Order: sequence, then C-alpha cells, then structure tokens
Amino acid sequence: MARHLNPCSSSSYSSSTTFTPSSFKNGTHLSSRFIIVPRKPHSSSWVSLIHPRIRARNHFQLKSSNGHPLNAVSLQDGTAGSPLAKKHIEPRGKKGSLPFSELDNVESHLSITIVGASGDLAKKKIFPALFALYYEDCLPKNFIVFGYARTKMTDEELRNMISRTLTCRIDKRENCEDKMDHFLKRCFYHSGLYDSEEHFVELNSKLKEREAGKLSNRLFYLSIPPNIFVDVARCASLGASSENGWTRVIVEKPFGRDSKSSGELTRCLKQYLAEDQIFRIDHYLGKELVENLSVLRFANLIFEPLWSRNCIRNVQLIFSEDFGTEGRGGYFDSYGIIRDIMQNHLLQILALFAMESPVSLDAEDIRNEKVKVLRSMRPLQLEDVVVGQYKGHSKGGKSYPAYTDDPTVPNDSLTPTFAAAALFINNARWDGVPFLMKAGKAIHTKRAEIRVQFRHVPGNLYKRNFGTDLDKATNELVLRVQPDEAIYLKINNKVPGLGMRLDRSDLNLLYRARYPREIPDAYERLLLDAIEGERRLFIRSDELDAAWALFTPLLNELEEKKIVPELYPHGSRGPVGAHYLAAKHNVRWGDLSGEDS
Amino acid sequence: MAALSSTHCRSYSPLQSSSFGPSSSSSSSSSSSNLGHFQRVSVSSVPKRFLAAKVYSLQSQTKSVARMQDGAVASTITPIENETPFKKLKDGLLSVPSPDECKDAVGFGINENDSTVSITVVGASGDLAKKKIFPALFALYYEDCLPKHFTVCGYARSKMTDAELRNMVSKTLTCRIDKRENCSEKMEQFLRRCFYHSGQYDSQENFAELDKKLKEHEGGRVSNRLFYLSIPPNIFIDAVRCASSSASSGNGWTRVIVEKPFGRDSESSAALTKGLKQYLKEDQIFRIDHYLGKELVENLSVLRFSNLIFEPLWSRQYIRNVQLIFSEDFGTEGRGGYFDNYGIIRDIMQNHLLQILALFAMETPVSLDAEDIRNEKVKVLRSMRPLQLENVVTGQYKSHTKGGVTYPAYTDDKTVPKDSLTPTFAAAALFIDNARWDGVPFLMKAGKALHTKRAEIRVQFRHVPGNLYNRNFGTDLDRATNELVIRVQPDEAIYLKINNKVPGLGMRLDRSNLNLHYAARYSKEIPDAYERLLLDAVEGERRLFIRSDELDAAWSLFTPLLKELEEKKIIPEYYPHGSRGPVGAHYLAARYKVRWGDVGVDQ
Repeated sequence: MARHLNPCSSSSYSSSTTFTPSSFKNGTHLSSRFIIVPRKPHSSSWVSLIHPRIRARNHFQLKSSNGHPLNAVSLQDGTAGSPLAKKHIEPRGKKGSLPFSELDNVESHLSITIVGASGDLAKKKIFPALFALYYEDCLPKNFIVFGYARTKMTDEELRNMISRTLTCRIDKRENCEDKMDHFLKRCFYHSGLYDSEEHFVELNSKLKEREAGKLSNRLFYLSIPPNIFVDVARCASLGASSENGWTRVIVEKPFGRDSKSSGELTRCLKQYLAEDQIFRIDHYLGKELVENLSVLRFANLIFEPLWSRNCIRNVQLIFSEDFGTEGRGGYFDSYGIIRDIMQNHLLQILALFAMESPVSLDAEDIRNEKVKVLRSMRPLQLEDVVVGQYKGHSKGGKSYPAYTDDPTVPNDSLTPTFAAAALFINNARWDGVPFLMKAGKAIHTKRAEIRVQFRHVPGNLYKRNFGTDLDKATNELVLRVQPDEAIYLKINNKVPGLGMRLDRSDLNLLYRARYPREIPDAYERLLLDAIEGERRLFIRSDELDAAWALFTPLLNELEEKKIVPELYPHGSRGPVGAHYLAAKHNVRWGDLSGEDS
Repeated sequence: MAALSSTHCRSYSPLQSSSFGPSSSSSSSSSSSNLGHFQRVSVSSVPKRFLAAKVYSLQSQTKSVARMQDGAVASTITPIENETPFKKLKDGLLSVPSPDECKDAVGFGINENDSTVSITVVGASGDLAKKKIFPALFALYYEDCLPKHFTVCGYARSKMTDAELRNMVSKTLTCRIDKRENCSEKMEQFLRRCFYHSGQYDSQENFAELDKKLKEHEGGRVSNRLFYLSIPPNIFIDAVRCASSSASSGNGWTRVIVEKPFGRDSESSAALTKGLKQYLKEDQIFRIDHYLGKELVENLSVLRFSNLIFEPLWSRQYIRNVQLIFSEDFGTEGRGGYFDNYGIIRDIMQNHLLQILALFAMETPVSLDAEDIRNEKVKVLRSMRPLQLENVVTGQYKSHTKGGVTYPAYTDDKTVPKDSLTPTFAAAALFIDNARWDGVPFLMKAGKALHTKRAEIRVQFRHVPGNLYNRNFGTDLDRATNELVIRVQPDEAIYLKINNKVPGLGMRLDRSNLNLHYAARYSKEIPDAYERLLLDAVEGERRLFIRSDELDAAWSLFTPLLKELEEKKIIPEYYPHGSRGPVGAHYLAARYKVRWGDVGVDQ
C-alpha cells in the first residue's frame, strides 16, 4: 500500500472554537456546523465565504462544548455530527499536505505564545516541535511565535537561543538552513511578569501588530510552574485573548497533586477559560505507538476478539528511565513517581487500551469511553502498590548517587522514585484482569512499553512440550513505545528440525525497518492538534477528576502512614517487591523474564 | 531463549511397539489403538531416550490394560523424569539434548544393541532415490538419528556392485551445512553400510536372496525392516508381494513406504489399497506425502493449538477464505510422460494441497497421536462437498518468448501427446460443510511453468465489522483485511498482515507485516521433508502418513470431477509459460468475492 506519507494530519476532525470565553455559553455557534459540507473541492471556497477563517473544520464545534453539560452534546453527536464528520475528512486527506489552503487562510493568523520561553521544556521540545511543523508545512501560512518570560531578552537573543536547538529531523534534507531562517524570522520575544495583566496587554498589542487585522487565533503554551498557571491564565485571558478568532491554552502537568488541588486548579482555570479552550497535554498520548494502539485494535479483525478477560490474562504498562533526578529533584520530590508518571501517562494509556469501542474517532466520543474506563476502576489499594527509591550503587569503579544524594532533595525524603501497582477495572470486559503498572527512575534500562499477556491455551495439546512452566508458553503482544518503536507478538513455534521442540518466536514489526522515515516527536503531533482544535489526545476535566479519584486515597495513605519505600540500587531492575506484587496476582513481568529486553 | 541450539532428533516421539510381522497381529484395529495409547503416554517433553528402558518394560506388561491407566502410567513416568540427571529438561521449552544424547536416541527396540534396522530402497537406481532418499538417510545418519545398527540396501534390476552403488550414492551426498566437521569421515562410515542387491521387482526368489543378505548383516539381532518403494505404481503390488512373503522380518517389524501416485481415481486407488492389504496390514503401510513433512506444515498445528491467539479466530466467524497455493516456475521439461497421465489435479491438489487443507481445518484432536490426528483429518475430508466442475478452472501452459528466449509449450514436450488436454494448472474452490467452515471457500491453486516457485497457505480474515477507520481505507475494503501467510517454500516464513498507522502526523493506515522470517530467526538449516518422514517411518510415527480411509475420502472428492473433465474433454485455458496462470483463476475467486493473495500488489 501507499507508503508515501502525508506529513500533516489527514485525520483531524478539527474544530473551530471561534469564540472567546464570553461567547462560549451561548449556542449560536451551533448553526455553523451545518454549513460546512465540503465534499467537493469547490465547496471549500463556498465555505470560506461564509466563514472565512477555517475551511472545513467548523462543523465540529458542537463537540467542543463539553464544558457545557455533555448530555446535550452527545445527543446530537450521533445524528448530525458524525455523518458529516466522515465526509469532510476525505477531501482533506486527498488534498495533500497543505491543510491550510491559500483560499481559506489568507485572512487568518495564528499566534503561538510560549509562556515560560526561557525554560527547559520550551527550548528542548516546544520550539523544535514548532519548527518541525513549519518545516513540514503543517503550520498555517500566517503565523508567529512569541516567547514570553520574565527574563529581559531581545527578539534576536531569543532567536539565538532557539536556533541552537533546532534540527531538521533528518539531517540531510534540503533547504534546512533556509527554512530555519524563515522560521526564526517569525519568532519574537516579549518580556513580562506572569501575573501582570498589563504586560499581557502589551503582548496583546504586539500580537495585534503582527496580525495586521487578520482573523486572529491565539494559542498559549503554559510552560511554567503550576503555582502560576492560574495567574497566567487569568492575565492571558483577560489581557490577550483573541477578539475574533479562537484562544486556546495548552497546560502541562502537573495538574494538581491530588483530587482536591486538581479540582481547585480546574475550577480556577474555568473562571477564565471554557473547557474547550483548555488543552491539558499528556505527551505520552502523542507517541506514535500509543496513537497506533487504537488502530491496531479497531482496524484489525484479529485483535478485537481477543481483547477481553476471556483471552487476556493481564496487561502491563511499563515505564523506566535509566537516570535519576540528577540535581533537579526539587520539583520531583514534592510529586513522586506515582503522580509524575502513573496517574497521568500510564493511566491514560490504560484507559485508551481498555475502553470500549467508541461511536466514532471524534475526540468527545473517545474521551467519553476513556472516562467510563476510569470510572469503572477500583481506587488503588495500598496492598496493591509497591514503592521504591533508588540508593547509591558502585559499579565498575563508578559510583551512582542515591536519590537522597541529590542536593535538591531532603535527606529524609520518602518520595518514591519507583512504583508498581495492580489496578482493576470492574466492568464486564475486564473483571479480574490485573493491569500492572510499573514506573521507575534510575532503572537499568530506558523504555516504555505495553505488554498484553494472553491466557494459557486451554487443553493445550502441546503442553508436554512446555515443561512445568506454562507461563513461558503464553502469547504476548508487546507495543514498544520507546525507544526503537516496535510491535511484536510472541507466539509458540516449532523449532525447525526433526524433533518437536517449541519455542517462543516473535512475529515482528520493527518500525525502523518498515518505516524509514523518522517518527515525529509527540510534541509536534500535540501542538498541531491544538492548532487544529483536535482534542482527542488532550485530557478533559472529567477524565482528570476520575484519574485523581483513583490515586488520591492511596497517595494520602502513603503520606500519612509515611510508608518507607523499598530501596533499590541505582541502575538495577528495581525493587524485588514488584515481583511479589505480580506474583500475588499470578502473573509475571514480561520485561524481566530474561528472554527479551 | 536458548531454543536456538539444536536438537537434531526427536525430543518426543512415540515409543513404538509394533514388533509384529504381517502375520502376528490378529486385528490391526486393536493393535493400532494400543499404539495410540502408548504414544500418548510417551509423548512428553522428556525425550524418550531417557525413558526408553523403563517405559519399555512397563509397556510390555501393561499393554492390554494401558488405555485405562493413562493417568497412572503417566504418573509413574514422572518420577523417572525427575531422576534423570538432565534437570534442565524441566525447563521444558529449553530442553536441549546434545548430539551425544541423540546418539542413542532412537530406541525402538527393547534392547538397542540387539536390534537393527535394514532400510531397503526398492528402485535404488531411480531419480528419487538418488536425489532424495539416500541424501536424507545420510543426513539422518550424520545427525545421529539412525539406530546404532542399520544397513541400507539398494534394490533394482540393474546389475551393480556394492561399490558402484556407493559411488552413485556418494555423488549426491552433502552435509547440510557444508563446513561441518567430520563430514567426509561420516560419509565413509555411511557408505560402508550401503549395499546393493540386483533383482526383479516381481521375483520372490530374488527377494529371498535379499532376505538372506539382510540376515547376514543383521547378525542375529532383532530385525526391523523398512522398504521404500521408489518404483512405478504398476509394480507396487508385485514388489510388496515379494518383499512381504520373502523378505519380511522374522522377529521385528516390517514397514513399507509407498510414494504417490496412489491410483488415479477412487477405483484404482481402492484396488491398489486392496492389493497392498493382501500382503500388508494397515499399520505397515506408510503412504508418504512429502508436503506433510515440510517444516511449516508441521508448524501449522503448533501455531494453531499452542497459541491462544489463533484458535478463537479459526472459523467461519473470522476467516473469510483460505488459499492453498502451489506453483513451480518450470514445465515438464522432457519428462511429461508420467505427468500427462495424471495432470496437476492428481499430482498436487488431490494429495498435497488437500492434505494441508485437512490439517488446517480439522477440529482439535484428542491428542497429537497419529490416529487421533488422522481421525480428525478424515472427518474434514468427509464433510467436504465433492468438487463441482463450475468450481474448477484448468489451464495448460503454452509457449512464450521473452527476451529472446523461447519457453516451450506443454505439448512441445516430446513425451506428451500433441493433443493432450492434461491440465498443468488448476484452481478450485472447495467447501467444508461443517459448523466451523460452512460457506468459507477454500481456494486451491497449483500450476507448472508459472512466474514463481512457491507453496503457501493464506488465511484471509473478514472485514472489521463497523470499522472505525473505514474512511482511511478508501473504497477497496479488501485491501484492509488481515491475512495470515504461512510460506512453506521457498524461504520459510510466517507473517500476519495488519493494518497499522503510518508513523507521522497524519492518520494514514497501511498494511504492515508482523513477521517471522525463518532464515533470520533460526540459524540452522531446515531438514528436508524426506528426512523427517524417513525418521518417522523408522520410529513408527504415522502422524504424517496417509491412512487408507483418508485416501479414499480424498479420492471421492476429486474422482467425479476428474471423470467429468475427461469425459467432456474440457479444454484447459492456455497461459503463457512463465506467466501468472490463466485469468480464469481470478474469475473463480471473484465468484466467491475473494481475491488471490499471491497476485495482489502487495504480497
């Protein structure tokens, strides 16, 4: 099949959200979704006459009103929303790589403001991702990037700073230098305080200058500490919202540290922003193989029949880093690995994995299903959790520090740097199937993967060939999210030869071998989605609430009881407690079975 | 996993008794049920050589009651297993007997040192013998899979000395992997065990002389004798008669391997079986179908029955059609005489492809024992509708000139009549009318002089119902179904076509393969089908041989069609030598709303 890639989204059923917070509560925009039926190319110009900014995107805005009671929305989903949705996708896909065609976009202008532009994330991820999108022609014709931070800096200094981290994904591609220059010319800087409305008003006027009267769409990326989220949201919303286009705000974790603080944060954000303006990013959801999870499951006949307690014995979500906090434990210490990785990244993947088939691929349909999974889950029990913390370790003359050796970490810190947990979904599909999560820092390897372990073959004719350990003979589907993306399915196979000996072999799909192109970074996908108003990969408030509800009692208990984490050597495989946890549920960690790494 | 290291010989394999000559067993059915039982006891992860001595003694005593004692017998075995010094066996999957262990592997006698196997290749000067049988025997010897005492005897009409035979044999011997050690030494040793006896195929006297020679070599040990009939079918019965009456083993077993063709229709096949059974019991007849000895055909059952993920999909609910494809990239090339009398349907479909089909479609057998498996296969064959003429397309290759080279037509072959209507290509749709497979077309395709050489099994799955990603597939939903491909030859592989997201910012799907490429995964060379089958025959493992009732059922599916083709003188569709075969095959598939998986754009 065709292997030529369309660099930009051909899937996004983007929405418009052409309203400011104030306009949000009224229903006038409902009408616009019936306008657009761009099945033929010419219709898009017709659309653009009526609604000049975005072509073919607006009819989804109904979906965006999930700040509104969902019931109102979902009633209409089935009737009008989805059939239209299906139709409008095709022309976009076929049109190729320029989602913003000239006709539609001459008059609109996108301003992306990175609040906290001098921070690490901005430098390492956000600016490079924006450049990659620009390089791939995925950004609209008229766009600017604004850095905003407290530091005094000139535009030139910002550009200098950015340019150091820009790379063309595949080095030898053409025009790279040119493109970089073009991109940098669109980058500007504005210095200001995060809680000063005035400064944001100044920013606003700078933005207006650049927008030069075009329809203005504004995206704010809050790459700042959580304690100033609300201040910035307030100032940006009041001082620098778009007047005639949309205004969206991307927020990074942490979204609170428990149900209460998260609820509070959401409440405050909503004072200034409507639900559909808030884009809570979880960059794991932007990973290629996490995206592919739904494709694998819903576009292949062979997997769905297996996707339940009938065939699946347990599911494992594994994350590990091979380094510790390395002098930057200050933030981490007040959160810990459970909040940092499990409650968001791993739980999100779990929900995506376990959800029922959604009505459509629309953001609201998918997120509705994910919430249902989260709400069907038992809150975590202390006895289903193992926590650990890495200690110093010397290997080959080199000594690796303990977590508490980090000067930014209190010496008596009990913060877990490792955790393993067993979760359960009490619904018809998954009753009794343990979902094991494991996340750790300073582990021997760096990886993120999803492992689906299937049950034994009932009445296996070949069981004599397996010896006593039937666990070694079950099938396993592995999605390796990073590094070195791959999908493989462990099957029992006859070892070629005259005897009848079986072993486990892999049915393999190694991305590197199959897809020569580099895989885009998760941030590229998510930024593009936010620009296009595709909310599928962002976390809705009710999802977040449900996620915290699962973890908060446990987190409170851990802290109240001052549970001491099991210490494990830096660079080891983590505390052995994780094995006992798995054993308690009669399963084994797939990543520690010794047969693959 | 450690599984890469090799075990050359069986790590399971039924303990075989069957020490009776044609006269010694009063009823073959009772003997075979006993056999079945003992096999079940002994098929275990414990290579039988560790058990052999103890179990054998057990076996002879409990034979009559064994069936009821399954559990008990089995459990008495367990401690034995634990006593063995080979603790690593308990790792099951990892059991890796060393070549040394293999040496005494083939314990098919009560006391190894006292038993011997004489393998007589009847028709030793023929092509098959030279190209396949002797090399396979040598490979088994090289791998230490043959018993300690064995002799190989060539039998044919030509006058030849032992040395001449050895010369002839040695020309075709190769060590599977050339650079392995001791190869020439091993060859010498092997050749010293090869002898020749010249005689007529229908002369009892000559076979009696052979018997005498064999006895000499057996030197008073328990004598087991295997005859491989590598001769034209019209002298099968003569040879069997003579071998059975004059050269049967007196105190061990006597088995006869027969090669296709097993008749050319129901009647002739039945007559052949009847003829054979005058002299042989069912359990002495080993009808070889070398496709059943292919590694991936063997693996078909493993794949299905030892993996949870396949069995739930293995029915009409998920499988839309199954394709069994065989092609050769050469024609008859001057040797069409035999072929013209049979045609591709008899030569490939009725046996090889149909056998694979039966293995593919059978219900789960009670055990892996030969009788249990063959019982299930017969059930499949008997549930099938006889082939209808309208479900068959036949073809014959015509000459074709490409790049200045002219490839001959089938009828250009001097050994073929000019007006021959014999199909060199056939495609057929078959149906199994049982609960599992009702309505699922099993498409077969076999042809000579096609553009490629291959044998494969393709399982095409149904569409995803209510596919959320429909719009990503365009209009051709057939391109979006899953497909499991088992490539039997060349270049063995298993792959599963799945729909996958093309990495990138968009949402574009394509079909990618989940792959298992044998050459990459398993470093060892895969043994030839004949090695496996010969070893099975020596060990009395009948799983891969065709039982009489299977053969009958197979013929009854094809005989009406074959008759009709011949009576109506159906003219085959001509296709150019080296092409993809007649287009009729596409229309046949289209009739059942499916597509051939092997001639698509992406395979």
